[in-house]
Amino acid sequence: MVKSRDGVVRGLGPYLLLSVALITAYFHLPPVRTVAQSAAVIGIPVHFFASLPSTVLQAMQGHLTTTDQLRSDFEAMRQRNLILQARLHRFEFLENENARLRELLSAIPFQAEQVTLAALIAVNPDPGALAVMINKGSADGIFQGQPVVDSGGLVGQITQPGLFHSKVSLITQEDQAVPTQVARSGLRAVVYGGGFGRPLRVLYLDRNADVRAGDLLVTSGLGGRYPPGYPVARITAVERNLAEAFMTIAAEPASHLGRDREVLLLWLPAKEVPVPDEQPDAQLETEDDDD
Amino acid sequence: MISVNSAQQHSWVPFATVFIALVLLVIPAPELIRGFLPDWVSLVLIYWALAVSTRMRLSLAWLSGLAVDLVILGIPGVHALSKTLLVYLAKHLSLRVRAYPLWQQSVVITLLLGLELILFAVVDLVATGSLSELHRWTGVIVGGLAWPLVYQALRRSRHFANLSR
Repeated sequence: MVKSRDGVVRGLGPYLLLSVALITAYFHLPPVRTVAQSAAVIGIPVHFFASLPSTVLQAMQGHLTTTDQLRSDFEAMRQRNLILQARLHRFEFLENENARLRELLSAIPFQAEQVTLAALIAVNPDPGALAVMINKGSADGIFQGQPVVDSGGLVGQITQPGLFHSKVSLITQEDQAVPTQVARSGLRAVVYGGGFGRPLRVLYLDRNADVRAGDLLVTSGLGGRYPPGYPVARITAVERNLAEAFMTIAAEPASHLGRDREVLLLWLPAKEVPVPDEQPDAQLETEDDDD
Repeated sequence: MISVNSAQQHSWVPFATVFIALVLLVIPAPELIRGFLPDWVSLVLIYWALAVSTRMRLSLAWLSGLAVDLVILGIPGVHALSKTLLVYLAKHLSLRVRAYPLWQQSVVITLLLGLELILFAVVDLVATGSLSELHRWTGVIVGGLAWPLVYQALRRSRHFANLSR
């Protein structure tokens, strides 16, 4: 095969130029991003086939469960629901009280986030990254950087929304960092992902900071990306080394990290826009509300 | 054109193998082995570029790469760039590499996949300023080791498709 330099220029050149142009345009022209999001629907048949084994397995498990098992499951869930209901009433009471106290302190009122349920697609979206895929996309109003939680706590954030599906980067991914605080002491700390098979890290905490193994880290709300109060990680090991200025702290994620079948997407409340009629049962609040 | 082979050719087979590779790329795997999985699409494209080098078009490589970018919701153009380059090189080397024994082919494949990884790392460095892509070198090694298997499987599909050169 005789190929001259001409062959490179004519054969390979246009494709390389086209690729580089596409990459550059993706970073600098917002419409290209939108087009790429829409074009990502061609991935749906691939995702369908990739998730087929897990879907079939789940369906088979569903068929194999006996009525007795279902009945006992149902009973357990009913009881759990009762307990949660009771707790919720208490939570509502506390929320109202908290709002009133904040008003007395003339602090910014705490606002509840809106949530949407999304199901996980059983595919591994990025072979080189710790990420999961969900079945909601920009067509459902999903946006880049949106926080994702499950029943355990913070899962991660949306890093790539497609039109009908999106990629969620888990907090365990190496390039992810979450501003948190220790639930017990209020101490602020940033939790960094560790990568494949490695624990989360809490970096740059002073040697004599008040942290111990077992402490729960919750989102602090600083940075504005994640709303405050969601569990992020539990500290598993604290190592104080006298020769170093900072501690070595390992932590494990509080959420199930995409092992649940569903996750919740959060919409942070818009800032500086108080919504007084959002809580109709809070009568005490209306006393000094200006309308 | 007069076809020497009287049997029918199934030219859809390479496309089907690329599709299967795409599915394998995103199939769920336990976190422990996920870092060791090779880029199946690269392997499949390299095979076709080696085996039917004159028929393999760069446009197919580019489109497959773009499909990878869209399927994994990555930056469009990155895999398109790397896949086109890989196929170009493989086409160039095909006459020589086809004569190698399988283990020697594996070495060449490992080098090609390594080159692709370096390309990813460069794009990652320019785009985000991190070098995290280089952690995936295990996939390159496993890709080279998996080559004999991929080769055998795809050779069957090629014989079924009745394609040559």
